[in-house]
Formats: sequence, structure tokens, C-alpha cells
Amino acid sequence: MSILTWLKKYSTIPILCCLLLAGAGFVWWFNDTLLEDIFTISCVTLTMVMGFQMFMGNSGILSWSYVGFVGIGAFTSAICSMSPQVKRMQIPVMYDVLAQISMPFWLALLVGALVAALIAAIVAWPLMRLSDAVGIITQFALLIVIYVILLQWQQVTNGPRTFTLGGVKSTTLWIAALVATAAIVVAYLFKESSLGLRLRASRDDRFAASASGINVVAVRYFSYIASAAVGGLAGGLWSHYMLSITAKSFYLIEVFTILTMLVIGGTMSVSGAFFGWLGVTVARQGLRQGELALTQQGFDAYGITEIVLGILMILFLVWRPTGVSKGRELTFDTIADLATRITSRSTRSNDKKGKPWSRSKQPKPSTPSPPTSPQPPVSSKASSST
Amino acid sequence: MTLGVIVEFIINTLSLGSLYALISLGLVFVFGIMQLVNFAYGEYIMVSAYVLYGLGVFTDLPWPLVFLAAVLTGAIIGFVSEVVAFRPFRGRSLDALLVTSFALSVILQDTVQLSISPRSKAPPFPDFFNQNVTLFGIVTPLRSYLMIGTTVLLLVGLSLLMRGTVLGIAMRGASENFTTARLMGVPANLVISTAFVISGLLAGIVAIFWTARSGAVEPLMGSAPLLVGFIAVVIGGMHSLVGAVVGGFAYAAVANVLSLTLPTSLLSFRDAFMFVIVIMFLVLRPEGLIRGSYAEERVG
Amino acid sequence: MSEPVLDVRDIHVAYGAVKALDGVSLHVLEGELVSLCGVNGAGKSTVLKAIAGVLKPVSGQILLAGQQIAGKVPEQVHRLGVSLVPEGREIFPSLTVAENLRIAAFGTYKAARFAADLEDVFGLFPILKERYRQPGGLLSGGEQQMLAIARGLMSHPTLLMLDEPSLGLSPNMVDSIFELIENLKGRGMTILLVEQNAERALQLADRAYLLSTGRLAFGGRPEEMGDLVDIASVYLGTHGEGSKP
Repeated sequence: MSILTWLKKYSTIPILCCLLLAGAGFVWWFNDTLLEDIFTISCVTLTMVMGFQMFMGNSGILSWSYVGFVGIGAFTSAICSMSPQVKRMQIPVMYDVLAQISMPFWLALLVGALVAALIAAIVAWPLMRLSDAVGIITQFALLIVIYVILLQWQQVTNGPRTFTLGGVKSTTLWIAALVATAAIVVAYLFKESSLGLRLRASRDDRFAASASGINVVAVRYFSYIASAAVGGLAGGLWSHYMLSITAKSFYLIEVFTILTMLVIGGTMSVSGAFFGWLGVTVARQGLRQGELALTQQGFDAYGITEIVLGILMILFLVWRPTGVSKGRELTFDTIADLATRITSRSTRSNDKKGKPWSRSKQPKPSTPSPPTSPQPPVSSKASSST
Repeated sequence: MTLGVIVEFIINTLSLGSLYALISLGLVFVFGIMQLVNFAYGEYIMVSAYVLYGLGVFTDLPWPLVFLAAVLTGAIIGFVSEVVAFRPFRGRSLDALLVTSFALSVILQDTVQLSISPRSKAPPFPDFFNQNVTLFGIVTPLRSYLMIGTTVLLLVGLSLLMRGTVLGIAMRGASENFTTARLMGVPANLVISTAFVISGLLAGIVAIFWTARSGAVEPLMGSAPLLVGFIAVVIGGMHSLVGAVVGGFAYAAVANVLSLTLPTSLLSFRDAFMFVIVIMFLVLRPEGLIRGSYAEERVG
Repeated sequence: MSEPVLDVRDIHVAYGAVKALDGVSLHVLEGELVSLCGVNGAGKSTVLKAIAGVLKPVSGQILLAGQQIAGKVPEQVHRLGVSLVPEGREIFPSLTVAENLRIAAFGTYKAARFAADLEDVFGLFPILKERYRQPGGLLSGGEQQMLAIARGLMSHPTLLMLDEPSLGLSPNMVDSIFELIENLKGRGMTILLVEQNAERALQLADRAYLLSTGRLAFGGRPEEMGDLVDIASVYLGTHGEGSKP
């Protein structure tokens, strides 16, 4: 396959990566501390969202536990990269074995991802058999188990107290941007890989998938591990950016944050996750500024952001259950399409068919739309009543 | 182990189990009909508790009225949340409903945080609530017995409703096979609304006793009872009202045993142990202790 | 000719992208027993579900005594007098026989009438009286079918729709179910019957329709159906195999 055909097939990757790197370049050139801070932490979040999309978007299973693996990666990499002296000072009760570890930042990141993947590999197999309500509750229960352990294991995580890394931020603008770029590539290639394809088949109809010889449990299992690894990586970036972490950061609020991004953007495509991340991040910053402004005027407005985003998410679920992207990817073709449409719109303003997205799968059949609701956001198992 | 310890254990388990049974009943009423794990359930409890606090502190209303208002608030918020947030998703995917209930939970938390205060507040309770009584040589606050008594009354009332009235029978039928119940003329909206109202009523009652135990209300207080409900429901069986009650008592018993037997260093991990048990139940015996009968379908 | 009890005009039904009914029209007159035949997947159950409001037609009209019911929800259609005895019986297994019957009178319950209806039903199905306090799930298949039909009668329907009432029953039980249907017909009940056992169904029917891959292949007198249409060709699916989602 020549470079050109490859580019055509996978054009989503260069588009999204160029957008992100261009953004990073701009921020670097603009050289504003606040903007750089926001952009860096947003890239960490983007990495997290990509890992979340890999499993949830392609399997249709709401994996609450994902954020737990982000936490595992965050603590693991922090423990690995800190110098023994700092550890003994910050967390005197820490196990000796752990306290003695010392390695460079990049290696610590990898170890964090590996440990997250390893723990996922140990616990996940029996859970992958479960679907629907039972599967969701199990995922939720696993998140709580991980959370409680991270919160209480004093000898490892400093317990409920804050875990302070000390030193300087190892997660810089460019590191965060490059890892996030890599995460986009991984998430997209995963989706298009044989494993991702089989996982998507199991999402659309798990009975038909297993009838076609797909081992649904195994497919989910390996995908879950892959997703946990990306999550662990994001966690490592997180802890080396924040420099002080607690288990409480990797709990329901964080699930809510990345879930809004995925739902609004559309769970089923990498482009959806990307633009969901972009939209929600911008909206968040705007709302936070609003909160601050109101608070400065003596009106305590903390929390408005979550309320607005929560309502927005519900509205999206009602009116646009497949998110902004409708499960499609942004490609060269769609951009060209969009460009033609914009130019033709100026001449023929009644062209209402403008849809700046191409479908990665087969084109939509032109038959009259079925009476049932459109494709649900994360699971295709719709029932027929009302 | 002395007799006194055993009696104390039994009384503790009964009173805690009563509370847990009500919590899980409230979850199962909705789950049975819609297969929806309602994440906002904890917030029904939280909002009711705030009504308790608000009326108790800022008005001179007699306490029975305050309690009644708290319970009714639970019912109203249950009803309204169904109509406003869940009804648009009738017949859509389970995940959309679930994500909505999660979003609703966050919205309610932040609204209370924003409009009242993120800090915890202490609602007043009538004196007799916390008075100690001595029974079988064990000193316990009176509210423990009130809790047991209320639960017994509620269980009797609910079983009369579910077995003796056509609405109750219809609800049981609908939780087994929703479509067929509709084919027999049972209105979907009525059944689902009733489930949410009952769930909200139970949340209101739970709010009273939960707050009396903890002594405080705060915006995030709903998550603890929600987790209790999850555990109890999974242990008991997600498709059976009896199972919910059994699960509530079973959870209280297990939690008390763990509190007595776990070394202090591990006690803080109790929740993790409980949820490991939950996961094992879900993997090995997803139907719980009490297997309810239901058809594999979903509405909502 | 009086106005038909049921008049289905050109309905189209789809499951997602899969078309299940492609323009089906049929009618049932008062007091008639109309049999709807066809192979598995031809769309027979889909017709009944569309009439009962479980499935919403994409287009077309369903008139009940002249009133449009297409698009109404099942409980509304039931209240207007249509009773569907679903395929596979679908009784409520943990509810007692008494409760199963009680549910069916949900909208129309009046104590005196309910008691009279019960007596009536017990006259038709003496076994249900014996099993009155038992959970429905403990009944045998045949008894469950009787309960399902009894449940369908409790609301005094103007149209009774039976979906595969003899499916999975022993030969003896099949006989008594058909006897019962004949009995109901004798009482003047208007019935739309979907049945795999076409031979038995056609013996009872006043008129019959033959459905093949979502379209009507025949409509008329049952004896003509055998003469005029090469049933075998329809049954063996030479018109193309229907797919049931």
C-alpha cells in the first residue's frame, strides 16, 4: 500500500493530529502561562478520552472502571519516578520495596501504563462475560473497589491524604501534546484493527457476533486491557503535571467529565471523541471563567459548569443520541465535501443536505427512516416499545 | 462471646438492615420495571434530607409535618424526574437512560451545592429520636426501634398494595413482562410513574432515618446510601422485591460481621470487600439470593 | 354489508432497515373467524403486533370499527376492544392464575362484572378454577394457553386475536384448543387467528388470508385457497425466503 492510499484510508489520523499539534504550536508560540497550563492538562484529558473511547465506544459497555485504571497509572508512575529520599520524607509508611524504586520519567510513564494493563488483565476476564445492566453494575463496583483501595492503602498511596510528588512538572506542553497525538493514532488504528472490528461487531449484536465465530469475551478482554493501558498512560501524565494527587481525583466526577465529552461528541468514532473533548473543554473553560467572575462579585457560583454540562448531555442524548459526529469520522473526503458545499451554498442557498461528515461504513440507505428511534449512543440494543 | 454481644449484634443488624432494606426497595421498584439503575436515587434522599433541614431550622412547623414534607418531597422529585428526564428515553437504549440518571445526579448535587452550601448542616430532630432506651440489657437510641417499626409497617403496606390492588398486581406483571402487561391494558405511564413515586417515597423515609443516624446533611450525602442500595440489591436479587429486603438485611449482617472481625488496619477497606462480594455475586450468581422471574426485555 | 370490525389498509412495517410488511390489507367482519396463514417469517405475528399497537406501522391505516388506531399504544388499543393472545402465551409466571386474570381487567374492573366474568371463564376452562391460587408459571403448557386465552377474554373484546395458540402443545391439547376456538366462534366472537396448523385453521375459518414474505398472496374463502393458489409454492417460499429479524 503506497503512502497516498494509506493516507486516504486513514486520513482521520493526520487531520486530527495536525489540528492538535497546530494548537500546541500556537500555544507554544503565544507563550502565555495560563493558556499553556490549560492546554497541557487538556491534552492529558484528551489522552484519557481516547483510551475511554477505545473500549466504551467500540464495545458499547459503559466502563466506569476505566477511571480507576487512570488512577492506578497515576500512582504507579508517580511512585516509580520519585526519588527514594523524597518518598521517605513524604510517605514514611511506604513499603521499602516501593520506596527504593527510582527511574526516569518516561520509563515511569510506561510502567504506569503496564501496571494498569496488568491489573486489568488480572481482574477483567470474568467481568467481560457480563452485559447490559449486570455488566454496568459490575463495572461500577470495580471502580469503587479500585477507588477504596487507592484511597485507603496508606503504604502505597498515602491513604486519604494528598500524595505529593515534589520537583518540577515533567509533563510539559510538548510531551502532553505528543502523547495525546499518539493516543489518537492508537485509538484510530485500534478501531480499524481486526480486534476493533470484532469488538464493534459484538457491540452491534453480540449474539450474531458470537454466532459468526467471534469470541466476544476474549475480544472484549484484550480491548479492555488496551484501553486500561492508555488510561494508565494518561494517569502518569496527570500525576506528573499536577504533582499532587489523591484517589478522589479518579472517581465519579472524572467519569462524568470524560463521559460528557464522549456522549456529546459521539461515542462511536475517534473524531467524535476528539471534537467532544474540544467542545466540552472550551465550554468548561468559558463556564469556569463565568463562575469565577460571579464568585468575585460575591455570588458563589461554583458548580454551574457541571449543571450546564449535565443538562447539555441529557439534551444531546434526547435529540442527538449519536453525538455531534453521528458515529462518523472526519476524513479528507468529508472536508472536500464540506468545502464544495460551502462554496455551492453561496450560490444555491436552498441546498439543505449539508452534512460535513462521511460515513466510515456503508452509506445510509435511502429507504424511509424506520419508526424506531435512531441509533442509540453506546449500545445498539434498542427495544421496540413506544 | 457473651449473650449481650449477640443481642446487640441482632438489634444492630435489624435496625441497620431495616434501613438498608428500604433503600434497596426504592432502587428495585424502578429497576424491576425499567431495568434502570437509577443513579439519581441517592439524590432523592439528599433533597428530602435538605427539606428536613430547611423546614426544621427555618420554620416552627411541628415535626410530623416536617417529616411528611420530606417524604412527599421524595415522591414529588421521583415523579418529576421521571416525567422530565427519563420519559423522553422510553424505548431507547439502556445506556442513554443510565447516563441520564448519572447526569441528573450530578445536576442535583451541584444545584444544592450552589443554592444552599457545599458544607454540611445539622438538621434538628425531636428529642425522643435520640433518646436511649434499654431493652434486653442493651442501650440503643429509640430511633433504631422506630426504624424497625417503620420498616415493618411499610413492608406490610407495600405487600398489601402489591398483592391486593389491581395496580400492584399490574406493576408486578409489568416487571415480569412489560409489553404483555400493556397488551392487557395496563398503561405504561401509570406503572412507571407509580414506580418512581414509590421509589421517591421510600427515599424520603430513608432520608429521615439516614440523617438521624449521621446527624448531618450535605450535597454529596446521596452516594453512600446509593452504594448501600447497589450492594443490597445485587446480593438480594435485582428482579425481586422480596430479594431487595433480604439483600438489605443480609448486607447489614455482613457489614456488622466485617466490622466485628476485620482487624482495624483492614476496616477502612470494608467497602472494597463489600464490592468484591458484589462483583462475585454478579459474576457467579447474577440473579442474587432470591431469583425473581422476568422476561429478558427492557422498556423505559 | 356492515362496516368491518377491523380494516387494515396497506400497512408497511419495518424492523430497523428490515422490511417486515410491505403493504398488507385485510379486514374482519363482525362475528367472522378469519385465518391468517403463511410460513414462519411471512409476517403473520407482525400483522397482529401492528394491530395491537406493539409495532408502529411506517405507513398505512388500521381502522377499528371505523376509528383509526394505527400509532396508538397497546393499552389504548386494548381499551378500544382489541385483545391479543400473544405467541408463546406470555403469561406472568410468578403471578397466580387469579392475578393473571385480574390484570386483564385492569381498565374495566368492576367487582360484580369481574365475578360474573370469572364464572364464565371457569365454565370454559374448569381447570383454571382448580388452579386459581397457583402461580401461572407452574401450569402446564396447555393450561398456560388456556389461561392466556381466558386472560384475553376478560376484557370483553370486540376483536380477539390469537397468535399461534396451538404452538408447542400435545395433540390432545391442540384438539381442545381448536374445540374452544370453535366454541368461541359459536358465541359470535370476532376472531383473527394466526396458526401454523393451516389445515385445522382453514376448517374453522370463514375467510382466510395467505401472507408471503410480508405481502398478501391470497385472500378469500378457505376452500378456494386450497384450489386456486398453489399453497405449496408459497409455503416452500418460491416467492423468496422471508427473513424474520
